[in-house]
Amino acid sequence: MANGYAGKILKVNLTKRETSTIETAQYEEFAGGVGIGAALFWDLAVVPGDWDLQDAFDPRNVVSLMTGPLAATGVPGAGRTSISGIAPEPFPTPLFHRTSLGGRFGTMLKQAGWDGVVVQGKADRPVWINILNDKVTIEDARSLWGVNTFETQDQILSMVSGRTRFGEEWQQVGDGYTTARPQIVCIGPVGESMSRVASLIHGSGVSARTGGFGGVLGSKNLKAISVIGTGSIKSADPKGVVDARIWHMQNFARGGGAAGASCCMPCVNPDRKRNSYYGGESMCADQYWFMGDQMRGADVAIKYGICTWCTKFGGAMNAQMPNAPAPFKGTVPMEPGMGWYIKYLYELGVLGPGKKIESHPLPMDQWDKLAFREAFCDAIARKIGIGADLAEGILEAAKKWGRLEEDMNSGALRLPAYGASWHHALPGVDWAYSYILMSGDPMWHGFFTSLSGGGGGGVGGGGGTTAEQLVQKIAAKMAPFSDDPLMLSNCWKGDEARKTGIYSDHKAKMVAWGRRFAGFYNESMSICDMMLPNFGGPSPDVEHRYYQVVTGSKKSLADTIEVGRKIWNMERAIRVMAGRHRDKEVFAPFMFMPGATFNLGMGGKPVYQDGQWSFENQNDLYLDKEGVEYFKTHYYKFEGWEEKTGWPTRKTLEGLGMKKVADVMNAKGRLGA
Amino acid sequence: MAESDKAERETKKVLRRDFLAGGGAAVAAGALGVCASGAAVTAFTQTPAQVTYPASTGYIVYDSRLCLGCQSCMLACSITHEGEASYSLSRIQVVRDAPSFTKYPLDVVLSVCRQCISPLCVQNCPTGACHVDTANGNIRRVDQSKCIGCQRCIQSCPQRPHRTVWNPAKKKSAKCDLCADAPYWSQKGGPAGKQACVESCVPKALKLVAEAPPQQDINGYDINLAPAAKEGLPKMAPQAAPKTGGA
Repeated sequence: MANGYAGKILKVNLTKRETSTIETAQYEEFAGGVGIGAALFWDLAVVPGDWDLQDAFDPRNVVSLMTGPLAATGVPGAGRTSISGIAPEPFPTPLFHRTSLGGRFGTMLKQAGWDGVVVQGKADRPVWINILNDKVTIEDARSLWGVNTFETQDQILSMVSGRTRFGEEWQQVGDGYTTARPQIVCIGPVGESMSRVASLIHGSGVSARTGGFGGVLGSKNLKAISVIGTGSIKSADPKGVVDARIWHMQNFARGGGAAGASCCMPCVNPDRKRNSYYGGESMCADQYWFMGDQMRGADVAIKYGICTWCTKFGGAMNAQMPNAPAPFKGTVPMEPGMGWYIKYLYELGVLGPGKKIESHPLPMDQWDKLAFREAFCDAIARKIGIGADLAEGILEAAKKWGRLEEDMNSGALRLPAYGASWHHALPGVDWAYSYILMSGDPMWHGFFTSLSGGGGGGVGGGGGTTAEQLVQKIAAKMAPFSDDPLMLSNCWKGDEARKTGIYSDHKAKMVAWGRRFAGFYNESMSICDMMLPNFGGPSPDVEHRYYQVVTGSKKSLADTIEVGRKIWNMERAIRVMAGRHRDKEVFAPFMFMPGATFNLGMGGKPVYQDGQWSFENQNDLYLDKEGVEYFKTHYYKFEGWEEKTGWPTRKTLEGLGMKKVADVMNAKGRLGA
Repeated sequence: MAESDKAERETKKVLRRDFLAGGGAAVAAGALGVCASGAAVTAFTQTPAQVTYPASTGYIVYDSRLCLGCQSCMLACSITHEGEASYSLSRIQVVRDAPSFTKYPLDVVLSVCRQCISPLCVQNCPTGACHVDTANGNIRRVDQSKCIGCQRCIQSCPQRPHRTVWNPAKKKSAKCDLCADAPYWSQKGGPAGKQACVESCVPKALKLVAEAPPQQDINGYDINLAPAAKEGLPKMAPQAAPKTGGA
C-alpha cells in the first residue's frame, strides 16, 4: 500500500491465545489512531451487546494501540501511538477514553508491518507479546511479573536481541536486518495490581498516562508488548514527504534539544541532556515528581509504572490569590494531585499515624524525601494500608474518607470533571468543555497557545498583533467555519457571554471544530499536539500537506475536518452506549467559583464586547452553571445530537454513513430523537 | 590541513594492514556480516593490490552529542534513495540505547559512512559495482546494476556496524553516496550538492565537509558541531568518543 498504512492490524485474543489479522482498509474511513481504535472498539466490544461497558477490568474490554498513516513515513512528530478502550481512572465510573504515547513504539510497529495492535480477553497467566515483523508469539511473562518497568524492558531486550551489542551490530530478523533495539511498551507493579492510576511505560520515560490503562493491561495479565521490524512504509509521494518535512523544519519547526524544554520524546524536540534523569526521556508531568532539582523521584514513578500526572506531588504551580477559599491561606495549588492532596490532609491533621485517615505505611514526616515516593508507589502497587485506597484513584479515596464533597467544593480536589487532573482547563473554555464532552483532559495544546496573546507568552499574538487581527487570522484557517471569528471570543461576562462569548452558539462551533480537527490530525493522524497545530505558524496547511503527500488523498482541509466529525461521533456513540447523558456532562463545583482559572502565563484571550475586540487577562474567569447548560444546548444542537440527552440522532449518524451504528443504538434505546 | 598531508592521503597505498583494520580474519565468504551472536565477520577474497584511490571530495561529519536520536535522517535517506521509509534500508544508522538506559552522551550512536581513504568495499568488489565515482567527487558508491549480491562489500567494511547496507528484497547492497544518486530527492546531491540526511537534521548534528577529517582506527567523524564551536570547525578536534559503537 503506497498510502502510509502498513495494511494490517494485529488482533490478539488473550483468552484464546490466538492472534489474527484485520485488514486496515476495512477501517480506513476512520483514518487511524483513535478513529480506528474507536471503530474497532465498537465492532469488538459494543456490537456483541453482551457487556454493559462499565468495568474497565472486564476481559471483554478491548484495548487498542493504534498508529496513524503518517507514522514511520518521515513526517515529524507523527509516530505517536493512540491507546483507547474503557479506562478505569475516571470517576465515578470508568469511561471510554483515549490517551497516547510517543517514543519509537509506533514507528517500529509500522516497520514491522502493523498499523496497530488490538487486545481482547484475558490470559490465564502473565504473558507478553513478541512481534518480530509478521511473526507474533505470546510469551510467558511469569518471570517478569513483579519486575519494574526498566528491568522488564532490559530482560525482554535480552530475550529478543540476544547478545547483539548496542550500536555495533546488525541483527537479523526474518529476512531483514536492523541496528535497532526492540521497542517495548510495558506495565509495572502498579499496573499489575489493577490500580486505576497505572501508566503504560515505554523506554525510560515515555508513557501513556491518563486513563489508567496500565491497570487494564494488568487485568489482562499482559505485561508487555515488544516489537522489532525491518520493513518499510510507502507514501503516495515520497519526494513530497521529504520536501514538506524540510520546508516545515526550515520555516517553522522548533529547534530541538534545548536544555530544560518540557518536551521530552525521542522526536524532533526532545531533551537528551536531562542527564540526571535516568535515560534522559521524560514528560512534563514528571516534573511534578521532581524534588527540587532532583529528578530521581520521577524515576521511581516510571519504574513502578504509576501515572505521574494524577498522582502529582505538586510544586511550583501555585498562584497567590488573596480571595482564595479558606483552606489555602491565599495560595491556590493549580494542579494538585494525589501526592499533594495527602500532604494537604496531613497538614489539616486528618491524615497521619493514628489519625482519622490512617496513613500507614507512608512515612508522612518524610513527604519530600525519595523514601516517601518509594513507599507511596509500593503501597499502591501492593494495595497495603492507605495504598489500597489510593490505588482506586484520588476521588474514590476521598469518597471513602468522607471528604469528597467538602474538598471538591473548596477546590482542594481541583479536578474539572470525571476526576481527571487539572490541565489548562480555564481560561480557554474550549479546553474545559472538552473535559466534560470527552472523558477528562483533552490534552490538546497547540490551539490554545495559538489563541493567546496580548501581553503574555502566547505565540498567536505577539509582535503587536491586535485581538481583532489575531481572531481574523486564526478563523480564516478554520475551514469550513472561516467566516465566524466571533467563535474565538472568550467573553465571559454579562449578556455578551451568551450572545457571542463563551456560552454562545459561536463558541459551540469552535468547540466542535476543535474536536474534529484534534480528532483527525492529532488523535488519528497521531501528530504530536505539542508540535502541531501551530496556528500562529504553518497550521493547518502543513498538517494537511503531510496528509496528502503520504496518503495521496485529494480531500480538502474541510473534508478532513468532516472525517474528524465522523470520528467524534463514533466516540460519542460508544460513550452514549456506556451511559453518557447530558446530565453527566458537568463540571466540578470549583469551576463555578472565583479561583477557577490558572492562566500559566499564556497571555490574554481575545474578547469581543461592546462592538470591540481586545485582549483580556482572564485570571479571574470562572464559569456560570446556567451558562454552561445554555452552551450545552447550543452545542448538542450544532452537532445534531438531541438537546435533552446529548445523544446523536439517526439523521446525524446516517449523514455520516453510520447507519449500522444508529441501528445498534436504537436497539438499546440510546438514539437521540 | 597541510597540503603535504592531503597529498599523502590521496596517494596512500592500500596495504594488507588496511584490510585488517576491522580486526577480523578471513572467514567463510558469503555470510552476511551481521549476526546476533556478536561475532565480527570479515572476509577478503581478493589479493590486495597496490591500488590507490582518489580521496572523496565530500564527507559527512556528525556530533553524537547534538543528535536528538529522532532518526529523521534515516527515513530521509531511505525515502530519497529507495522511495520508501525504512530504518533498515537507511545508509545512515542512528541507534539509541533505549530501553537499556545508557546515559547521555553515550545513549546515542550514529553510524555514518566515512568515505574511507582506502575503501575496502571498493577494493573487494568483484564486479566493480562498488566503485569510486570520479564523475561525482570520488565518492565511494554501489552501482546496483552491476551488484551481484555477493556481500563482500558488507563483509569487508571495517566499521561496526558495517556502513554498507543489505537490501533483502533486491538482494543487493547499497551505501552512502552523499545523495549523488537519490531518485526521490528534489535537490542536487553529491559532494557538491545537498544531502537529505543533513538537510533534515533539526539540531544540525550532521554536516558535509570537503576535506577528509583524520581517519582513526575504525572510528567515524564524531566531532563537536555545537554552535559555539562553529568557528573552530576546520580543526575538528575529536571529542571523547563513546566507548561503545564504532562511530
